[in-house]
Amino acid sequence: MKAVGARLPRYDGVGHATGRTAFVDDIRAHGTLWAKALRSPHDYATITRLDTTAAENMPGVRAVITHADVPLLEYGHLSALGIPADEPLLAKDEVRYKGQPIALVAAETTEQAADAVAAIEVDFAPKTPLFDVRKAFDADVSQPHHWGTVYPHFEESMDRRQIRKGSIEKAFDDADKIISGVYRPAAIEQMPIETQVCLSVPEPDGRFTIYSCTQALYFSMGVVAAHMQIPLNRLKFVGGTVGGGFGGKVDTATETVCTLLAQRSGRPVKWRWTREEEFLCSSTRAPWHMEIIDAVTDDGWILGRKMLTLHDAGAYARFSPYGVTKHSFHHTGAYTIPNLHFDGYVVFTNRVPTTAMRGYGVTSVSFAVESHMSRVAEELGIDPFELRLKNANRIGDTSPNGIAYTDPSTVDVLHAISEATGNELAPGYAAASRQRRAGEWLPDHLLAQISDTEVH
Amino acid sequence: MAIQKGHGIASIEYPTGMNQNGDPSQAWIKVKPDGRIDVFSGTTDIGNGSKTIQSQIVADTIGVPYDWITFDNSNTDSSPVCTGTFASRATFVAGKAVLKAAQRVRERILEVAGQEMEISPDDLDLDDGDVFAKDAPTRRMSVGDVAAAATWTYGELITGTGAHLNPYVPIVDSSTGEVDSPPHAAISYAACAADVEVNDETGEVRVLRLIQAYDVGRAINPALLEGQIEGGAMMGLGLGVLEDSYPYYPSVDNRAGDFGSYYAPSSADLPEMVNVIIENPSVDGPYGAKGIGEMANNAQPAAIATAVHDAVGVWVTELPITPERVLAALDAKSGGSGPRREGKHVAYDEEISINAVGTGLAWRAD
Repeated sequence: MKAVGARLPRYDGVGHATGRTAFVDDIRAHGTLWAKALRSPHDYATITRLDTTAAENMPGVRAVITHADVPLLEYGHLSALGIPADEPLLAKDEVRYKGQPIALVAAETTEQAADAVAAIEVDFAPKTPLFDVRKAFDADVSQPHHWGTVYPHFEESMDRRQIRKGSIEKAFDDADKIISGVYRPAAIEQMPIETQVCLSVPEPDGRFTIYSCTQALYFSMGVVAAHMQIPLNRLKFVGGTVGGGFGGKVDTATETVCTLLAQRSGRPVKWRWTREEEFLCSSTRAPWHMEIIDAVTDDGWILGRKMLTLHDAGAYARFSPYGVTKHSFHHTGAYTIPNLHFDGYVVFTNRVPTTAMRGYGVTSVSFAVESHMSRVAEELGIDPFELRLKNANRIGDTSPNGIAYTDPSTVDVLHAISEATGNELAPGYAAASRQRRAGEWLPDHLLAQISDTEVH
Repeated sequence: MAIQKGHGIASIEYPTGMNQNGDPSQAWIKVKPDGRIDVFSGTTDIGNGSKTIQSQIVADTIGVPYDWITFDNSNTDSSPVCTGTFASRATFVAGKAVLKAAQRVRERILEVAGQEMEISPDDLDLDDGDVFAKDAPTRRMSVGDVAAAATWTYGELITGTGAHLNPYVPIVDSSTGEVDSPPHAAISYAACAADVEVNDETGEVRVLRLIQAYDVGRAINPALLEGQIEGGAMMGLGLGVLEDSYPYYPSVDNRAGDFGSYYAPSSADLPEMVNVIIENPSVDGPYGAKGIGEMANNAQPAAIATAVHDAVGVWVTELPITPERVLAALDAKSGGSGPRREGKHVAYDEEISINAVGTGLAWRAD
């Protein structure tokens, strides 16, 4: 029997279903200390005083760390791509979101750790937060980030991701209708059953064994090694089996501080976020603000699209520049639009930093584009299948950044849905295919965008 | 008061692998003295089925039964680099790494078998755990005997490594976003049709049925694909009508801090689901596969929003489509509000546009 194509049961299914799979929190190490965090109670504030002396002398406390104890305080999620870092592992001069970690305590029991956190002396001077991405460009707005209100480090120090193709002005001139809409999907939780958790064990040979729930063992190992300024062979990440991630467990939220505490105390340290911390302090899917203006003809061709995207990054960049770039590459959805004018901004606000979540960068644009397509179909009085089939990506059409599609299946999946819902397509649309455009499928306005290179 | 029914569709695409590439995966495989296969891969299984999918690819590529495979992704001492399980890359990118490693192992098995059988490796085939002469299939030798010969006769370890990397694709012109080669691996496609009912007195939306079609390239494991499609659909349903980390967005107040106060979809919200799997093989994926892990929650929100409009005649473009938002839209509609129509312009949603709230960006001056 061939394995590929077979409905084989999950490799780890029996373990998961019977509760015998070992996740990070199931690992026991003799002498483990428990970590608790001092987190910001403010959305935005200057830290005017931070003194851990009293906490260090509390019963059961074996280690306390702050920003001063991190060899490399700032290491960005995208540092490997040359993008500058902006987020301290532990807050230094200010806090930019409620829940931001400031100091960590490791103690013999969770209760002792919590008591010591309460004994840390810290004072704040609150500042005015920014929450609404639509106000980011206002003259007198509060600056939520040392880079300003928007991320300024796209290529050539641009403050936005830009896509330009063809001539948007000509598309608007030639259009029969110009239809605009605004789309705002919400932040949501990745909500894994397994909260963020890590156990870091100092080994007799000077290495650290880090039991991690990361979605990316090597990425997270690189993050810890960078913060600690040690080579990779000092670390052994153990994981590979995760109790739900959905993007949120790329963040490497716990591994570095556990290992710093383990180094300082010489004891294994576990940090297991409570359910409340998981909801309130872990990153979410980003809220997005998208405005689409489409230039369309009465017979259902989309001549051009002008689009503005404001990505609510929260307090730090994390993966947001990557997310907005990916978003920009897909802002035409499954369709070919020859004239494009796209501006996408990573906007900083004083909420928990947002991060990857299933469909990162594109879930938002799929909602915006497809809602807008449905509206355009209604405005033009055109069947929603026909509007989509007409403008569907086909072999040889080019993407927003000028790459030819080799195997687009927009037509195929639309045909499948039409058939499965009992919809009857007009004969011309039932005969549409993914093949290169020709005849009535190739109106003049699509000529210039087609790739003449042979594609398979 | 009445229950109104509506129908809507959406059609989407989604890339495989990290945007702009540059995301390697590596694997190595060794063969035990009885022919059983140990796979070492750095790919985390977040519930997406990496362990199963990669084991299936290895079994068929070497030519041994699936239950001969042991899969170890447990630690970074024994497993090589995998950039991570995200960007719908595990089946495609990491799958290609184990595929290449398995090809090397197959070659090595045939070489050792050729030595034992005194036949050129080119004249040998390998299937279901047996090596045999292509033109005389009764001349055969089990992979277990081949591995034993390697271990005890020749003093060799049968092993193979594999890596896959689509190199990083830079943006060549930051003013246009142009690139000069594909900035990701295969693109997957999907469409979704939603049937909903809307209570026009309470504003409640119930999703009754989701019919979904996915071009997966090749269904390496149809059961796991259906899990991704249906699980993803429930996340899309949550995004569409239930979930919100900031119920008074953009305010950060009144966030939910536990399962009891956060509206996530449950089995009570489960609609009827119909899945259609289409296999248009990708040009270079393992066995033609593409990745659909993430896109599985992308099509439902728009299909549902369109169906709500079909049911009660209002567009809700701020998610989630809560009863409050439906009722507010119905009120606005009965108050006569709608898009601004001026010349050839049809402008919806101006009241929530940046120009209605902010002053610094003259975006809508067209």
